[in-house]
Amino acid sequence: MQKKKVLFSKKLVMALVIMIMLSFSFIQAPVADGQVMRLACKYGDSRSLDAHRATGSQDRLVVGLVFNGLLRYQPGNLSADAIEPDLAIAVPSPKILADGRQQWVFKLRPGVMTHPYDGNPGYELTSEDVVYSLRRAADPKRSSFAVDYSGMTFEAVDKYTVQVTVDQPISAFLFLPKFANRGGGLIVAKKAVEEKGNDWFKTHPVGTGPFVFERYIPREKVVLTRNARYFRGAPKLAGVEWYYMPNVSSREMALQKGELDVIEGPKEQAWGEKLAKMPGVVVDFINSAETITAHFNMTVKPLDQLKVRQAICYAINRKEFVAVYGPDVSSEIYSVVPVGRMIAGLTKQEVAKENLVYDYNLAKAKKLLAEAGYPKGFKLDVFTSESTTYKRAYELLQAQLRRIGIDVKLSVVDHSTFHARIRQNLNPIVFYACMRPNPDVILTQFYSSAAIVVTGKKAKTNFSHIGGVDADGDGKIDSVDDLIVKARLASDPNQQVALWKEAQLELLRKAVSYPVITVGYLFARSPKVEWGYKMVIITDGPNPTEVTTINK
Amino acid sequence: MVKYSIRRILISIPILFTVVTLIFFLVRSMPGGPAVAVLGDYASKESVAALEKEMGLDIPLWEQYINFLKDLARGDLGRSLINGMPVAPEVARVLPYTLQLTVSAALFGVFFGIPLGVFTALRRNRLFDYIGRTFSLAGVSLPSFFLGILLMLVFSIKLDLFPVMGGGDIHDVEDMLHHLFLPALTLGLMMTAYITRTTRSSVLNVLRQDYVRTARAKGLRERLVIYGHTLRNALLPVVSFIGVYTIVLIGGSVLVEVVFARPGLGKMMVGAIQQRDYMTLQSVMVVYAGLVVVINLLTDLSYGLIDPRIRYD
Repeated sequence: MQKKKVLFSKKLVMALVIMIMLSFSFIQAPVADGQVMRLACKYGDSRSLDAHRATGSQDRLVVGLVFNGLLRYQPGNLSADAIEPDLAIAVPSPKILADGRQQWVFKLRPGVMTHPYDGNPGYELTSEDVVYSLRRAADPKRSSFAVDYSGMTFEAVDKYTVQVTVDQPISAFLFLPKFANRGGGLIVAKKAVEEKGNDWFKTHPVGTGPFVFERYIPREKVVLTRNARYFRGAPKLAGVEWYYMPNVSSREMALQKGELDVIEGPKEQAWGEKLAKMPGVVVDFINSAETITAHFNMTVKPLDQLKVRQAICYAINRKEFVAVYGPDVSSEIYSVVPVGRMIAGLTKQEVAKENLVYDYNLAKAKKLLAEAGYPKGFKLDVFTSESTTYKRAYELLQAQLRRIGIDVKLSVVDHSTFHARIRQNLNPIVFYACMRPNPDVILTQFYSSAAIVVTGKKAKTNFSHIGGVDADGDGKIDSVDDLIVKARLASDPNQQVALWKEAQLELLRKAVSYPVITVGYLFARSPKVEWGYKMVIITDGPNPTEVTTINK
Repeated sequence: MVKYSIRRILISIPILFTVVTLIFFLVRSMPGGPAVAVLGDYASKESVAALEKEMGLDIPLWEQYINFLKDLARGDLGRSLINGMPVAPEVARVLPYTLQLTVSAALFGVFFGIPLGVFTALRRNRLFDYIGRTFSLAGVSLPSFFLGILLMLVFSIKLDLFPVMGGGDIHDVEDMLHHLFLPALTLGLMMTAYITRTTRSSVLNVLRQDYVRTARAKGLRERLVIYGHTLRNALLPVVSFIGVYTIVLIGGSVLVEVVFARPGLGKMMVGAIQQRDYMTLQSVMVVYAGLVVVINLLTDLSYGLIDPRIRYD
């Protein structure tokens, strides 16, 4: 009987009862702090809070609150014509030097203070910090954005003047975004990085932005507090808490419960409509320059045949894609640069003139397949990421291609594996959803020969292999490299746009890829949140600024 | 028992070594890598190679393995390849949350599962038995994330009783228990279902034994037959299943931690997998393996407490 007490001892029973009673006795609604904005993203964790290593959406948003650029995009508007001064007092104009190089001069705002950090109360940001920061951004060992700054040198002329010299002159359209408040353009506090080191800086960002980094709890949250010395005025919010919550149901419930103020949702209108019906929830549908494009791997048979790729293009129905993602969240596109969201995008009319719209036409698709020697279609092994955005696109493609006899065997892999494998040239058709800052980056990263996956000199995301294969069967390698380079170096903006458009038409002629839709962003929030600015085009998500409030 | 415990711990060493070795190589066989995760889409091959060098991933795999074992022997779990933070303090920070969750769910399961199992067995094929069996079938069939969301809907959204997210402040007992209740209930209901089923079948099995028939034939009171003769004998298989189910529970805690946005080893592991953070992932899995070994040891030791016939020497 003694042993039985081990399992059913009074103490054990009492302990359990007390635990349960305590749980109930402490039931109370959490006290909400209206001054701290609590946002949750769909990601599981941060990768790096170092301004020059923040490549993931979840990190770009946080560093966007901590750091400034010399220039900035107007809050809520990520278009090139919305760039305005930030740490600089004016947007500079270029000057051509005697040796043919180009020079840009930034004049800094005096009196801008860095955030305090670990024993240092903060200090005045000067040209030394800016030059240090830009050199750091250009260093591939310390930055993920180094390629954007190749061929540039940076010098501090005096305490408040920074001079940038560019070996190959480029247009303002391509130059200015590199110095805006995204990517390598973010300015770090030199002393903090030098004193504490790059490893420390990954999890302790120190900048000049509206919010000061307080702490990072891995896989949970980043806590930021108001920068009372912010040069645009102290933020109205007391702080921002940025939560990592991959489960969408948990985010929804935490928003309903009032434990969160803003949550990120899947890019599906249906989700937004569902949440909009909930009491006390407002959903924002926001445009983005993010596109979904299908890239055809021309090294895989039978996709090496132009007619097969054209047949696939005619079998894809953009309208069905829009229906799946939702008309308020997505729109059809006809070129790889999204028209209306970015300069040099092609309108339907422009593409139609060249007969390159590839509007849904099953009869034409079947005819082309038959001409290519596949009247009954063929089988294709394709894999997709588990990510909803990708999976939906691939499943729809599978259904659409079945109509012309192409049997797509679809397997699902996790998102990291998907990205690893597509870069190993293992997928015949690659859907890629992304936002790139300008046409040059889109064309260079996806269509230049140097970017061909695996074999390219600077292998990146050229999944189609254009520039390395004969795309139209005439025995010659087809490439748009020349057009990309000419456009990059063009000083005349009209000529630049014309060259970018021509490069895109050439891609459509060779059916290298199929631009499908743009996808926007969906955020659900408490109606008490007021951003303080209008959202026109965003990427990653909405950023609270110094004017953002939560009205209690 | 001390000798037995030491022997069991010594036997566990080669098991742990094998597990650790498997973990090390399996983790590295995953496609993708931490350098790509850190650098993102913009990174060139050169940048990825440079970062891999910085992370120490450019040296031969066997050398990485030896270094890993050396560090592990010193109790050093290394630094996260993604954020550079030491892994051991992070494990120490989140481990109590996982233990709280698992232990309270296991206790919940024992507290409700055993009586329910006994009760349904004693009322076999009667209404209460059917209800109990339906409950336990639902408990083992419902995925923990689904059950968690259902409980959240009822207790957090509709009744506004418990928080939806977080683990609470570990130094504040009130806050901690407030945050623990729903996740523990989610896992605890599963545990209850498992234990109910096991207890029921074990009790039914013992009730058919000759010594129970003899006890009843002797005219012993039913209460004594049940609690003195049946239950003690029926508990031995139940205890071994409690050990197994507690291990299952640790696995189940992964999903519960994600659903409730609660800190813990499970959430740490999922994050490490997504980011290909080999150091963090292998460290978390080593801790999990250690927990499994400890639970198995405790289960074995508890046999002797229940059944005096079992000797350890």
